[in-house]
This record gives sequence, structure tokens and C-alpha cells, in this order.
Amino acid sequence: MPVKVEDLVYVYSEGLPYETLALDGVSFEIADGEFIGVIGRTGSGKSTLIQHLNGILKPKSGRVFVGDAEITAKGVKLAEIRRKIGLVFQYPEYQLFEETVYKDVAFGPVSLGLSQRETDRRVREALSLVGLDFSEFSERSPFELSGGQKRRAAIAGVLSMKPEVLILDEPTAGLDPGSHMDILNMIGEIRRREGVVVILVSHNMNDIARLSDRIFVMNEGKIALSGAPAEVFAHDEFLASIGLRLPPVAEMMRKLRLRGVDIPEGVLTIDEAERALEGFLRRAR
Amino acid sequence: MKNVRMAHNGTDIIRIENLIFEYKREGEAAPDRAVDGVSLNLERGSFTAVIGQNGSGKSTLAKNINALLLPSGGAVYVDGYNTGDAEAVWEIRRRAGMVFQNPDNQLVSAIVEDDVAFGPENLGIAPDEIRVRVRESLLSVHMYGERKKAPHLLSGGQKQRVAIAGVVAMRPECIIFDEPTAMLDPVGREEVMEIIGRLHLDGVTVVLITHFMDEAALADRIVVMDEGRVVLDGAPSSVFRRADLLRKLSLDAPLAVELAERLRGKGFAIPDDIINTEEMVEFLCRSK
Repeated sequence: MPVKVEDLVYVYSEGLPYETLALDGVSFEIADGEFIGVIGRTGSGKSTLIQHLNGILKPKSGRVFVGDAEITAKGVKLAEIRRKIGLVFQYPEYQLFEETVYKDVAFGPVSLGLSQRETDRRVREALSLVGLDFSEFSERSPFELSGGQKRRAAIAGVLSMKPEVLILDEPTAGLDPGSHMDILNMIGEIRRREGVVVILVSHNMNDIARLSDRIFVMNEGKIALSGAPAEVFAHDEFLASIGLRLPPVAEMMRKLRLRGVDIPEGVLTIDEAERALEGFLRRAR
Repeated sequence: MKNVRMAHNGTDIIRIENLIFEYKREGEAAPDRAVDGVSLNLERGSFTAVIGQNGSGKSTLAKNINALLLPSGGAVYVDGYNTGDAEAVWEIRRRAGMVFQNPDNQLVSAIVEDDVAFGPENLGIAPDEIRVRVRESLLSVHMYGERKKAPHLLSGGQKQRVAIAGVVAMRPECIIFDEPTAMLDPVGREEVMEIIGRLHLDGVTVVLITHFMDEAALADRIVVMDEGRVVLDGAPSSVFRRADLLRKLSLDAPLAVELAERLRGKGFAIPDDIINTEEMVEFLCRSK
């Protein structure tokens, strides 16, 4: 389902000495099925923005639409919003609380008042989407799982609500490189199978460059720049000026170009870098 | 006084001898063995990175170094003091400080400079001396200008630098960093890594636990853990050459190592000792 945000404004601690304009007129549209990467320094407004999309925060002004429904309208129930928009917080495993993985994943569907049969179907589906085998994991305590498994179980708890928009805030923080890659591949798979909009907030520029259709760059409560990864990361000086960095591959290519090595523009992933350097080394032979 | 230092050779600040650590599990007979027979000596002034997948025992090992956890078997010596000796615990903590992943869990005071003074106060250091140390420590992490601020108004990287200053103010010979950059944005990470590098240059022994391979590549030595054991131990250039093993252990290699490997596969001669971006750039520029 498409998402539309119109002129969102939010102020923290209004009227107090530390009053901060956290969102300063944010507007954007996301098409059905798009993968959006959101980057920005700590304090740039990323978290405030996604909390508006999920109805945790109410804007001072501005509107949020999911499909045709305005979720910022008066009288909209939070449960209604959460059905449409799933938010996976940072370190979501801290929010696991039930005795078994099954009960934890079932919590959302049960609180929506769904039948036992529908709940069971959704739990099975969600566990399968996150790659946790139902017979092996459903009756285990979530607290016995490994770090990566806990995080999968927590994400399954959001997926069981069948959201149409999936928002993930730093879903791989603190995971080892292998689990990191597994979680990202899993997100890609969920998007392919479910056709959901994915909004990924991350400090990992490599992941953002590799996965996003479009990137929103946040700075001081505004979207300072947006576009396809190659467009956004071409603005290296601007990004540096607002405390952001290029993906490691793009940084290496930038350094090579500065030293006069002939490398094409827009190289962002390791596969592209391999081809570019292969070309360069063949010419240099 | 019972806490007599063991005679030990002066070059190793940390000696870990066949360390075993087991977590008791409620309602289960068999404990969970998180560290399973680790022996390691860390040279004074060295910079060692510890990598390994989630649950491999890295953090448990680190907490055994400064007596936050005590061995179930084997022994750990810090500058000759046995961590199992209850009377030596302050001698150990003043020599081996620890910085954790989440700065919010480490800051205890409402004002930055009070927070940095907390450690030295606990060591019973005189107020005049504490003032000197707080100033020095905050200067060393570039946070002296923020000394009167409330920690919760700082960015993640700034908070982590204050947490580091709090440890530096105890003037430890060794600092153990347990994933200090996991929660930081890219600039916060750079700031913290720059400070870790400088502490090392100033002679502090650094142990860095990390999931970021480019950070591990900055160390003199990398220890790779799996299932509570050390499975690989050596210079970054030799450890990162074991790409297949690292992948099997849910780890990877820095970008430059990975690219070098792929280009070698295409028949290009790339030197073995390239582990970071700068070295790769230098090499390619020489090939022009």
C-alpha cells in the first residue's frame, strides 16, 4: 500500500528550554512495494519520523496516509494503525516476554481478536517468513534462543499482524556479520513474498546502498536529500557536511578517483567494485 | 594482606590460564559452558581485537578479565593479581577498565564531569587529584567543552566518549571495549575508534570486542572465538586470509581483503598484506 506524508511538524518539549523542532515540514510519497532506506545522524529526526508512521507520536501539524486511510485523522484507533504498519524497534528482542515463541508471536493476532485458527495460521506463516522452523522453535522459551534467533522471533511478532508497511529501525545492530546478512536476506525475502513497503532505518551505508530503491537523507528534522542510491551517494561532500559517510565501497572508489585512477561513477556494491577494478587492472597491464 | 601479587613476567599485563566459565541455568542440571579452556597472554601496550559470532563467549571472556565474572575453572591474572582473590578486586579494576556497548547504561550522574569523577572517587583518590584527572580525561576524549552538560543531551558518540573518559580517569593500564560502537552512527564510530587508537599509542593495553571487521583490522592481533574456545589467533593479515573459516564462523573479512581475494581469483597478483582501504588504494595507484 502506498504511503503519503504531508508537511509533518513535531516539536519536543514545547515551551521548555530544550524545545526542539524534531520534524520540520517533512513530506514524501512511497509507492506500493518500494524499499526505502532512511539515513541521518543520531538526532536528525529519523526515529521521530517512524514513530509518527506507527501512531506512537501525534504530529503538531501535517498528515500521514496509508493507502486511502489517514492515520493522523481524529478517532483512528491505534490498533487499526498497527494492523497496517509494523514497526520493529532497535533491539526488538528486549520486548520478548511470553513463555514460548508461539505465544509471543501470537500476541498481536490474539489482541486483534482473531480466531484461534487464524492466529495459528498467522503464527506458522510468520515463523516461516523469518526462517524459524515451527516444530523446532514454537514451544521453546524465547529467552533460550541465540541473539540472531531472538531477533527473528521478535520480527515474527510484528509480521503476524500482517502489516502492509514494515518499518525496521537498525534491525542488525549488535549482530555478527553472518546473522546480519541472514536478517537482511530475510527482509528482502519478506518483501518479495508479501509485496510490502519496507522502510529501513540504518547507519550501515553498505546495506542501505545495496537494498534501497530510494534513500531519504534526514538532517535537522528535514529530508535534506532523496533519490536512488547512486544519486544520493554522488553528493559525498554534502553527506560529509551533515555527518554522514559513503558506503565503504564508494569511499574506496572516491579515494581512487582522487588519486587519478580511472573508475566509473556510481560504483556502490562489492560486485560492482570487483568489475570496476578488474577493468582498471586489465587496462593497466 | 593476602592479595600478594604472583611473581610474573613483566611483559604480559593479562594472563589467562585454561579459563572455564559456566553459567548456571535455572532448573537444569548441566550448566552452560560459555568459555571452554581459553589460555591467552596479552602483552603490555598491545592492541588485541576479539571477534566471533553472537554467543561465542567473547563478552564472557572480557568480563572475566576485570573480575566482573569469576572463573569456574582455570585462572585470570591482571598485572599479577588473581581475579579469584576477593581482596585484589580493586587492584584489578584500577588496572583493567571496561567500556560497554550501550553508553546509556554506563552514565550514572546528571552532569558530565561528575560522571567522569565517579570512578576515581570510588578508588578513594583525593579531590584535588580527581579534578586534575577529570580535566585530563575529558580533554583526551574531546569532551571538556561539554563538561557541565547533562549526559542525556549528548549524541550517542559523545556519551560513549564520556563513558571512556570515566574509565580513563581511573588511569587503567588496560581497557576492555565490549562492542563500543555497535549503537553509534558512522561519525560516532569514527570518533570512538580514533580515541581507542590514541589510547593505544599512549601505551594503554587495548582489548576490543567487535563485530566490525574494519575495526578489528586496526589491531596488532586478532583472536577469533567460537563455542567458547580460541580457534584462530594472529596478525590481522594472517587471520583475514582464512576467509573460508571466517565465513563458517558467521564472520567476514574487511572490504579490501574480500576485494583482493576476488581479484586474485581473476588472475591478478595482489599482495597478501592488504587489509584496509588505504593499502588497497596505494597498491592500485602503484599499478597505474
